[in-house]
Amino acid sequence: MLDAFSRAVISADSKNAAIGSGELAALRNYVSQGNQRLDAVNAITSNASCIVSDAVTGMICENTGLIQAGGNCYPNRRMAACLRDGEIVLRYISYALLAGDASVLDDRCLNGLKETYIALGVPLQSAARAVGIMKASSTAHINETNTSGTNPDETRFRKMETVKGDCSALVSEAASYFDRVASALA
Amino acid sequence: MKSVVTTVVTAADAAGRFPSQNDLEAVQGNIQRAAARLEAAEKLASGMDKVVREAGDACFKKYPYLKQQGEAGSTQTKVDKCYRDLGHYMRLVNYCLVVGGTGPLDEWGIAGAREVYRTLNLPTAAYVEALTYTRDRACSPRDMSPQALNELKSYLDYAINSLS
Repeated sequence: MLDAFSRAVISADSKNAAIGSGELAALRNYVSQGNQRLDAVNAITSNASCIVSDAVTGMICENTGLIQAGGNCYPNRRMAACLRDGEIVLRYISYALLAGDASVLDDRCLNGLKETYIALGVPLQSAARAVGIMKASSTAHINETNTSGTNPDETRFRKMETVKGDCSALVSEAASYFDRVASALA
Repeated sequence: MKSVVTTVVTAADAAGRFPSQNDLEAVQGNIQRAAARLEAAEKLASGMDKVVREAGDACFKKYPYLKQQGEAGSTQTKVDKCYRDLGHYMRLVNYCLVVGGTGPLDEWGIAGAREVYRTLNLPTAAYVEALTYTRDRACSPRDMSPQALNELKSYLDYAINSLS
């Protein structure tokens, strides 16, 4: 497993060169954005169950066949497995975002995931759709652009109330990890 | 590659939980100290050739017998290899400063070094002398800030201890 720093070391070692000013600029950026990044990870982990359950609910709303007899989220046992997998994927994405590198996500989560799902008969399209919804809500949580949606009485809705700033780089980095999951399932 | 972030993530993954507040604070502490080590890495990289040259010169000055017939530096090729090895050590110290841990030195510098030096009949005392010279030669504020110097010296000490 690598992080942003050890990734720079591995690539410098392959060139047999020391790490100089050029590569250090990117790492200084990681350092200066450090607190933002931690807030972003916190925004995901603190809202994990909400993000996951909303994504699975959305996936089922769009395709109600999933919870009818013979669907892949029927009965509860398989629904529970689906929620659990959503949480696992989100957990590895939170690790990748913390490390600033996708290797932990690739090695420990995505490697063989598609083959496993095919063997178990899990519909890849539905799984990718749930990941897509998690991407939308996670990036909204990081950016604090999340809304209560169409239900004004939504009790789970909340904002993290961190200091506002420009999170566009982190949001696109987080989005890239979700896209990585989606493309691994495609 | 071992670093604070990978250690934290490995532990969280073993427990199957999201990164906790404690994990985030451990990473934050590491990030706050990062400026000093990145400065040291940058200064070391920019002066790398000179640092290696001076360290090697110091070692052959202290142990001139090394250049005699039958010793580890008897030919120019062998002497060049000594400087090259010192370059490797400095490069690994540079990597350690970037990662914020001893992972690169452990994995690429120290593991197996004892066996290799014994097989090739190389004197580790010469390496120790060269690295010690570099450590004592570096000074603040001429070369870098005091915190950065502290980080640099700690990894040089780590390398020295592994060889002595």
